[in-house]
Amino acid sequence: MAAPLVLAILFLVIYPLFKLVYDSLTQGDGPGNYVEAFKSSAIRKAILMTLAQSAAVTVLSVTLGSSLAWTLRRATRRSVTAVLWAAVLLPFWMGLVVKNYAFALLLAREGAVNHFLQKLGLIDQPVQLLYTAFAVVLGMTYTMIPYAVLAAYPTMTMVDVELLNAAQGMGASKRKTFSTVLMPLIRPGIVASTAIVFAISIGFYVTPVLLGGAQTPFIATVISDDIFTFFNYPRAAASSVILLVIAISVLGLAMKAVGLKAIRGGLG
Amino acid sequence: MTTRTDRILDGLFTWVGRLIVGIGALFMAVPALFIAMLSFSNDQHIAFPPKTWGVNRYVDLFTSDTWAAPIGLSLRLAAVTAVVALLLVLPAIIGLKRSNLRGGGFIEGASVAPMLFPVAAYAVGLYAVFAEVGLLASFQGIVISHVIHAVPMVVIILSTAMDQIRPELELAAMTMGASRGRAWLGVTLRLLTPAVAGAAIFAFVSSFDEAVFITFLGGPGLVTLPKLIFDSVQFGVDPAITAVATVLMIVTSALLFFATRLRKDVR
Repeated sequence: MAAPLVLAILFLVIYPLFKLVYDSLTQGDGPGNYVEAFKSSAIRKAILMTLAQSAAVTVLSVTLGSSLAWTLRRATRRSVTAVLWAAVLLPFWMGLVVKNYAFALLLAREGAVNHFLQKLGLIDQPVQLLYTAFAVVLGMTYTMIPYAVLAAYPTMTMVDVELLNAAQGMGASKRKTFSTVLMPLIRPGIVASTAIVFAISIGFYVTPVLLGGAQTPFIATVISDDIFTFFNYPRAAASSVILLVIAISVLGLAMKAVGLKAIRGGLG
Repeated sequence: MTTRTDRILDGLFTWVGRLIVGIGALFMAVPALFIAMLSFSNDQHIAFPPKTWGVNRYVDLFTSDTWAAPIGLSLRLAAVTAVVALLLVLPAIIGLKRSNLRGGGFIEGASVAPMLFPVAAYAVGLYAVFAEVGLLASFQGIVISHVIHAVPMVVIILSTAMDQIRPELELAAMTMGASRGRAWLGVTLRLLTPAVAGAAIFAFVSSFDEAVFITFLGGPGLVTLPKLIFDSVQFGVDPAITAVATVLMIVTSALLFFATRLRKDVR
């Protein structure tokens, strides 16, 4: 009964990825596609931008996400957990395009953020927020926080809270308890969360286009330009493979560090 | 043992933690509230704070014919995607879970993997395959890409649900005289129904919301609702989008909230 699913995976998941690698090495300049990709300053810039901004997104999402996940774990009042879960899942519920649109309006020249900054007297003139790396990082962090929370949460539910009480009862400070008792226990969740958020982040397309514009190209935007504007499919395939290799390496490293189960558990 | 500085630093630590959580929760809520607020402005152009209030944008939304066709296409795509994804995954998961077939874990892993791949790279792979077989810019092609996009979530939901249903229940039904098929329908499938409904909703919403595959594979002819919003935000802003976005948020939230509840019913 699994045959249709297996066939679908073979033809629609594995074959396209295989074809991508094959085409990137045989079409156009063959392996030279990669040389060409790395020689292009636009692609080099896009790769660096993508990695730097995805790293920032990962740090922010995992910090906020695991704090929220731990609060969810510890909260006992039903009303508190309900409100927090709703807040965490809101980005999922808003839809991809809608939430980016919301950030575009918030960060626009006449948007709410500039309005409040001016009201507070922090700035005299509206500042450019939209179409900056800051906007992209903010919008992507918003999108990735639910993933970060859901990835970190399962390991947190397995932590025995009495251990923390025991540590404090024996005289450890809260900071010490956090760094020597809690952190080692939740590490698999944090690592899974970091890997998942980073791997998904580097493939982002909608947010860099809507909030970053031409200033902050992502690998995905360069790929789409290569296909639709420059009709250079071989180079697009090469860039896609670079993207894939980065994602798979990050996930592989995480899997090596904390095991497949922590990653799989982090997906829901 | 704990000194005064320790206590002060601990207090600080607690408050920094609370601050992070507070900022996090606020950050999550603001964009949704902001869009909803702007949708009730009657100003000609989007501006903050709105000078006049009203429901003009909703009137625009329901009277203009810009939105009807894309919404119709998105609904059709989402419905077909949900059905196909279920037909593909449900038999597979039941088969894998009840047969202890070797490689079941691998199949499950491979079907969840697209969730973790960079979407853009995967879209290019599909683009190449579709160009080969003539599926670019076709309804069927988009359905295929949306199904693959939905499969991981459907697999996760159904597989977790199946793990909660003990095979002994089926066996018990059979020892009490039920035929294999009857035990299967009356026990396992019945217990699985909420999860199936939940998975269908998740698949529906994931297709209804999808904006990347449609951009790479849809060509100029197929314009779904997310594509239309995406394009109009890129090239000048129609204020009616705030109303569309608000309606979308409410409908999607309600659907996904319901689907999450259904998922919990199994547990």
